[in-house]
Amino acid sequence: MKLSICHLYPDVLNLYGDTGNIICLKKRLEWRGIDTEVTLLPIGANADLSRFDLFFIGGGQDFEQEVLLTDLHGGKDKEILAAVEDEKVFLCICGGYQMMGQYYLTHTGQQCDYIGALKLHTVGSDVRMIGNYMFKCAEESSGSTIVGFENHSGRTYLGEGVSPLGTVLHGFGNNGEDHTEGARFKNVFGAYCHGPMLPKNPEFADLILQTALSRRYPGTVLPPLGDGLEINAHDHMADRMEKQ
Amino acid sequence: MKLKVFLAVFACKLTIKLLRLLGRGGTAIPGKIALRICPDLLFQLAKDVKCVVVTGTNGKTTSSRIIEEIYVKAEASYFANRSGANLINGITSIFIENSTLTGKPKKENAVIECDEAASKEVCRLINPAVVLVTNVFRDQLDRYGEVSGTLENILIGIKNSPRAVVCLNSDCSLTASIAEQIPNRVIFYGVDVPIYKNPVSEVSDAPHCIKCKHEYEYSYRTFGHLGGFCCPDCGYKRPEPQVSVTDILSTELSFTKVRVQVFGEDDVITINLPGGYNIYNAVGALAVSEAVGFRRMLAKDAIASFTCGFGRMEEFDLGGHSARIILVKNPAGANQVLNYLAGLSAETVFVCCLNDNSADGKDVSWVWDANFEKLADMSELIPEIYVSGIRSGDMAVRLKYAGIDEDKLRIFDDYDELIDAMKNQSLPVIIMPTYTAMMDLRAKMSTAFGGKEFWE
Ligand SMILES: [Zn+2]
Repeated sequence: MKLSICHLYPDVLNLYGDTGNIICLKKRLEWRGIDTEVTLLPIGANADLSRFDLFFIGGGQDFEQEVLLTDLHGGKDKEILAAVEDEKVFLCICGGYQMMGQYYLTHTGQQCDYIGALKLHTVGSDVRMIGNYMFKCAEESSGSTIVGFENHSGRTYLGEGVSPLGTVLHGFGNNGEDHTEGARFKNVFGAYCHGPMLPKNPEFADLILQTALSRRYPGTVLPPLGDGLEINAHDHMADRMEKQ
Repeated sequence: MKLKVFLAVFACKLTIKLLRLLGRGGTAIPGKIALRICPDLLFQLAKDVKCVVVTGTNGKTTSSRIIEEIYVKAEASYFANRSGANLINGITSIFIENSTLTGKPKKENAVIECDEAASKEVCRLINPAVVLVTNVFRDQLDRYGEVSGTLENILIGIKNSPRAVVCLNSDCSLTASIAEQIPNRVIFYGVDVPIYKNPVSEVSDAPHCIKCKHEYEYSYRTFGHLGGFCCPDCGYKRPEPQVSVTDILSTELSFTKVRVQVFGEDDVITINLPGGYNIYNAVGALAVSEAVGFRRMLAKDAIASFTCGFGRMEEFDLGGHSARIILVKNPAGANQVLNYLAGLSAETVFVCCLNDNSADGKDVSWVWDANFEKLADMSELIPEIYVSGIRSGDMAVRLKYAGIDEDKLRIFDDYDELIDAMKNQSLPVIIMPTYTAMMDLRAKMSTAFGGKEFWE
């Protein structure tokens, strides 16, 4: 068995250790004897997106956004839309999550058009929502409690047909107002969660893998792993936030 | 005005004395009090002092210590701040300590290590004679945001230093870009050749041209994004350094020998610290020495003999075997420690202490940007890895996913237990702590094995 992972824009969307998610996915497959192929798709590179099982998009610096949008609107946005409709699995963090939405409105009133795969949009503000945070995933998205670190000034608002990934237990989440965090639409999982998200939240990591695996090899079930260290790191942060 | 200066200086000196009596050193509180009383105090006190300011993401402390050693060798009268006091309050405190009650300087020169974000304000107030910018790397992002923001802060600082000679790292595309935006005299320094035979692969913090955003090409790399960069689109490229390392002659466990060229003249220098990144610190200090106008021989002696301490390759004797502390603050720093480890030929115990206080960075996700996978390739040489600190849990997970056997990992919640474990085995130890972990661990190790207190 083999899963093909596509890391979109690793050259510019590579902040905050988010590529740790790729390391995590790869290892958790390797430990179960499943092969992985990771394809990096930097700006300017093209590939047939329909051959991948799982996509990862991270967050990046504003400095490089311009080059990225040019590349995106050169046709990759259409391919990504098609992959989403095709129920491919996407994990999109922070900037990558915002980019899957319709647009970003800067706090000076400028609008950047994004992919529009998910009916959500982001409004810039001058207040940074930063710190350790925790949210509870909806049952359809593992039902587990996720711990991580958020660091964003954009406020994201979900539109019709898009469910939140979870409910905020500690911290800000999507916008600091409606207690939602992240988004789930078909097999797209979006969140503001750095940390990186997957290693300390193994249940959620396995949901991502299981979803991709079931699509490629129907009926396959991932065997459990010994997650002692992961759970220890998760619980340490969960306890700390509960006490605050 | 005079009265205000006097009151501020007096209050500050008194606070410093009191804090010392209470057994506490080097804090920012005295400077904070003084600035409350007299907001432009630093300007008043620095007016007649010739200052060197050292800023940049990595290597500030080591570079400052080498420069300080040059002043010692020159028998010049100077004072310097310590790394824990590199924001405006701490810098004000050190100026007060070195002033009379009426605000006259007791020393002619100062070597000031300055935090990148604080540099814009500090430079405006002390009007330095020389500014050294070591490099710009991705730091803890919850403190400064993006590298472009850090660069902007440094640039404003230099723009506030009209008379300064500016020493810039030619190999850092971000740092070197400052030159065209300032009227000051610039001395570039750099390393003309690769440093490591087999460096860890790293994510570049600056893959795209700062001017036109095209991807850079490199004729060689030293580490990180440092090296012979060139933009094929707009032509922005590594400037020719006036002070450069032209050859790495030998890299030993405790020192490095390099060939240098300084304004056209060849020489060989020994750097009294191992680690490739310390080559940059040494050659940066050499550039500062040229800017100040010291005799070259003095700088050469200083580089060959300085000691750094305070968590920068600082060595402790555990009783027959040694422990070295190498402070890390970001992925680039951690990768350099991993490069250093890869160059060792003896079995070693590796210790990681990860904290998430504000001085460490509250977001510990950066450990995933450092190439700990390299450790898995060195598994015969590293039989055990100890993990400690507030976020030891996260560090252990990082190492597990780097491919380290879980049986090799030992987690210590308590530094006393960690110190006992280091002592009760016989292999040399390399300790990689974040800032506040270093402070805590170092204090305990100084008590247990001897060592200087840091405000002395
Ligand atoms: Zn260019």
